[in-house]
Amino acid sequence: MSDSMSIEDYLAQGGVLTAPGNVPARYRGELLRLMSSFVDSELAASAGFADAINFAPGIKERIAASRITLEKADHAEQVLEVMGDFGTDVMRYQTSHDWAARVAREADLGAARRPGDMRLSVFHYPITGWTDAVVMNVLQGLATGVQMTELTRVSYGPLAEVFRQIAPREARHAQLGLEGLERIAATPEGKAEILAALDYWRPRVAAGFGLAQSARHEMLRRLGLRHQPNEALLAQWEAQLQEELARLGL
Amino acid sequence: MARFHPLKVTDVRRETRDSVVVTLAPREEDRALFDFTQGQYLTFRREFDGEELRRSYSICAGKDEGALRVGIKRVDGGAFSTWANENLAPGDEIEAMPPMGRFYSEIDPAAERQYLAVAAGSGITPILSIIKTVLAREPRSQFTLVYANRQISSIMFREELEDLKNLYLGRFSVLHVLKAEAQEIDLFTGRIDEGKMAALFRHWIDPKAIDTAFICGPEGMMLTVAASLREHGLRDDQIKFELFASSQPGRARARAVSRESATQGNGTAATVTLDGATRNFQMPREGETILDAAIANHMDAPYSCKAGVCSTCRCKVLEGEVEMAVNHALEDYEVRAGYVLSCQAYPVSDRVVVTYDE
Repeated sequence: MSDSMSIEDYLAQGGVLTAPGNVPARYRGELLRLMSSFVDSELAASAGFADAINFAPGIKERIAASRITLEKADHAEQVLEVMGDFGTDVMRYQTSHDWAARVAREADLGAARRPGDMRLSVFHYPITGWTDAVVMNVLQGLATGVQMTELTRVSYGPLAEVFRQIAPREARHAQLGLEGLERIAATPEGKAEILAALDYWRPRVAAGFGLAQSARHEMLRRLGLRHQPNEALLAQWEAQLQEELARLGL
Repeated sequence: MARFHPLKVTDVRRETRDSVVVTLAPREEDRALFDFTQGQYLTFRREFDGEELRRSYSICAGKDEGALRVGIKRVDGGAFSTWANENLAPGDEIEAMPPMGRFYSEIDPAAERQYLAVAAGSGITPILSIIKTVLAREPRSQFTLVYANRQISSIMFREELEDLKNLYLGRFSVLHVLKAEAQEIDLFTGRIDEGKMAALFRHWIDPKAIDTAFICGPEGMMLTVAASLREHGLRDDQIKFELFASSQPGRARARAVSRESATQGNGTAATVTLDGATRNFQMPREGETILDAAIANHMDAPYSCKAGVCSTCRCKVLEGEVEMAVNHALEDYEVRAGYVLSCQAYPVSDRVVVTYDE
């Protein structure tokens, strides 16, 4: 078989790459950027949620928060391992940033990442209490669910496999959040707290979907690293969120 | 970081006119490192005329053979594969990284699964490893192989596949598709295309029964087979890929450009290429990295950690000299080939030309 075809054409037609040895230079850069953004976000999320364990009102909630803290770190490790195949020094990478560092609660970062690490901007904001933690987890958990529909079909096969293993557990984190939210929403005071936290987190999580009409999207789409535009993903998230909030009478 | 370890060549067997099967033994202390999973590959390195070449070849041995074996098919003009086919002999030593790759599915001894594999040419190597392991370790599972070659004489592992058919009677079947040789059944002559896949699914293989499919071959064939599998109802997580890329862009050619000597001065004329677009700008010799200068000039250069650890910002210096403050990610052979971490690279010559596209 002598189907000679350029890697670029192959990718544009939905081809899957399978080893560091067969990825082009630009693909490598964008793939690593995507992976490090995920790793940094998971490590920052885990570090942020570690504090939420002590906000937990009961044992059940404490277990849920501990589990999220543990599993997000585990997901970061799995993706970091794929980065290691490309030469990333995984031991140094884990300690290259203070994952628990946060900006002031009232700071406004927009969609911009901060110098330092590549976590989504939402993971730079501090969590202030249990309801706050649950609301943030529900909003970001649903967002991750939407993002996973993209990540599980990225064109780098070994990474897509990792994301397919991670996706159900990330979905479970969002589910734990929704269960927690339902318990809080059972009282009028709880409802009021939720609404305040929603006001705070909603625009910050939405910013994580990136800009509409992103100039980078077309390149990433040709490389098979993205499929749907940012605005379509954001719309899906908003629709899902509406549905969940309506279900809880919020 | 993955490191190279010496492997002793214990056997070289000619498989076809242009392929060999090489048996390798790790040192006692490296044994655990080379405990592979079926379907993985080894990356070898060797110097040819002062230039380090790295090539990956899939393991063809099953988990239960107690040996490490790779199949190497000679590629026209390929320095490494030609050397392996013509010069490699028992007793030689060759350096390899521990096994890598995720081209496999978890083995479950109790499972009763139907597997399909589609291989073209030397794409059989990892698939043979998977077939042997699955048949031995999942005694209730069945395996069908569709195997495309030019002609009978170019079929790698033909006898071994026949033996497996006899050993696992009724659990393993092979459909040979030959491009340049007529067979009794027309379906098995020609190349694997959309029509042939559809016919296979109509007459020979029930797509609904397939649990997992493996595909290994060149780009066009991978696209065709994957599209057909999806069309016949398989989900992405049921399809495993291993690409035998016709071009290997990972090649590290030594820099041919003559090195400019570092000169005293304040500024550097920088030329940076990204996504096919080239920009020229002046940058200071000190205090600003190539990456920061590119970003300051509105180029969307990739980066992440900015600490010389992750290697996202790797670029290649085509002309001039730069110095890296730290490097925890690039290996010596990459640095020799001109690659630098742009987040750590400061210019030291009057002129610097770099690209993110190579």
